[in-house]
Order: sequence, then structure tokens, then C-alpha cells
Amino acid sequence: MTKKTGISVPEGYFTQLETRLQSIPHQEVRPTVIQKVSPWLAYAASLAILAALGNFIFGRAAATEEEMGLDYISYLSQSLDPDGQIELMENPTLTEEDDIRSFLIASNISVEQLTELNYEEDY
Amino acid sequence: MENLEQVFNAIVKNYSERLYWHVRRMVGTHEDADDLLQDIFLKIWTALPSFRGEAQLYTWVWRIATNETLNWLRREKVRAALRFQSVDSEMERRIMADPYFNGTAAQRELFKALARLPEKQRQVFVMRWWDELSYEEISAITGTSVGALKASYHIAKEKLQLNLSQAEVSK
Repeated sequence: MTKKTGISVPEGYFTQLETRLQSIPHQEVRPTVIQKVSPWLAYAASLAILAALGNFIFGRAAATEEEMGLDYISYLSQSLDPDGQIELMENPTLTEEDDIRSFLIASNISVEQLTELNYEEDY
Repeated sequence: MENLEQVFNAIVKNYSERLYWHVRRMVGTHEDADDLLQDIFLKIWTALPSFRGEAQLYTWVWRIATNETLNWLRREKVRAALRFQSVDSEMERRIMADPYFNGTAAQRELFKALARLPEKQRQVFVMRWWDELSYEEISAITGTSVGALKASYHIAKEKLQLNLSQAEVSK
């Protein structure tokens, strides 16, 4: 196998090439398509990241609340009876309105306290 | 900036001709080599401010050139695929039509066989056989181990010899 390849260049090519290449620093560099769209891509990416982050944080908070059974009944019972002296009448996971009322009556809650807790409209 | 320009001009002076022959053997035709070389030096100029001197300037320049050449070959492959053509036949056609090829039929066959090699094997073969770089130099440029380079080189050489002998038989 020979090292000769039979390829050639136009006459004086390398002199002309050197001059042409040395003019590169003085050429205006045209931005590529990627460079043109990259600020918009960065903007879209940051919006997407924010949306994903928001979804992660709030979605997780909601899920945690659900997982732990921290509904408004539990919240109320903890606010009104932190020591757990009042027994929940039927089921610890009360959901019916009557149960809620019974629980509130048993807790001796005042209207003022309920107002503070935004449950005024029921009374 | 002036200092950078001086360094750049020195790179052009020292490497442009050598890199031209490397690129020409990789891509086949004078026109493609000329276009690609312009892109390579543009890349060198834009990357020069970030050159930190961890590698030798020589290795760094060659690395840009070889990476750009491989990228060009990959782009050509995609372009050929989009036209439902094989990149090998497209390159063969271009080599046949190149006005700056004035070698013998055997040399043309060698070039055509070279164009049929996978890019990495072609790169190693060109760097070792024609550019006469040592395996250690090629390893520093490509980041491939010397052992893997030796294996690639021998596979490439065997493929070329096989292709050339088949071309000889089919005449």
C-alpha cells in the first residue's frame, strides 16, 4: 500500500489559505441558529423548571397532608384539645357534619374561638 | 486581544498546511477540506481565550481539528440518509469528481476504500499512516488508549488491503 495519494491543491493555495485564515479575527462572527434561539430556550427552560418545582412542592404538601390525615377535624381537635382529653365520640376520622357539631359542642368551644378558626358560618 | 491574535496567527502558520492534509484525507475532496478547515480555524479562534494550557497547544489544536472533522463526517452521514443515499457512495462520487485528484487508478481506489471505513478507524489510520503521529500523540489527541488505537489501526489497514485486493480482482 502506497503513502502517495495523488491528491493536490490549486497553485499557491497554502499562501492564500494562510492569509484567509489569519483574517478570521477581523471577521464579524455571525451568530448561529442555536446562539440566536438560546436566550428564548433559556427563558422557556426556566419557566419549565419553575412549573416543575411548584408542582413538586405543592403537590408534595397536598399529598403529605392527605397521607397524614391532617384534615380540618384533626386540625380543630389539635387546636382545641391539645392534650387529647376530649374523646372523639365515634370515629377518629369524623367527616359528617353532625359529628363535627357534636365534637364542637363537647369541646365547649366559644363562638369567638370559632370565628378565629373561620367556622362562624355554621353557627 | 492583540496577544491572542498573535497566538492565533502562529497557529495558522504552524498548523494550517498539516491540518489541511489531515482533513483532506479524511473528507476526500479539496472543496470540502477547504470549507471544513475554515470552520476549524474559526472554532480555534473562538475557543482560544478559554485555552488554559492544561494540554499542549499542539494537542489542543489537533483535538479541535479531529473533533470537527468527525462531526462533519457524521453530519454528512445524516444528510446522505435524508436523501436516501449511502454516505460511502456519495463520498466516492465526490472523490471521482474532484478536479484536484490526479493520482493513479490504484490511488483513487485507496481513497474510495478509505471513505468506506468507519470514521474512528479512518481517523486513526490517517493520523498514523499519513500524518505520521505516534500512538502516544494520537492517544493524547483522541483520548483513546494506545492499545485500542493499535487495534483500530490494524483492523483499518486489513480492511483497506482487502478492499484494494478485491478492487484489483474485479478489474
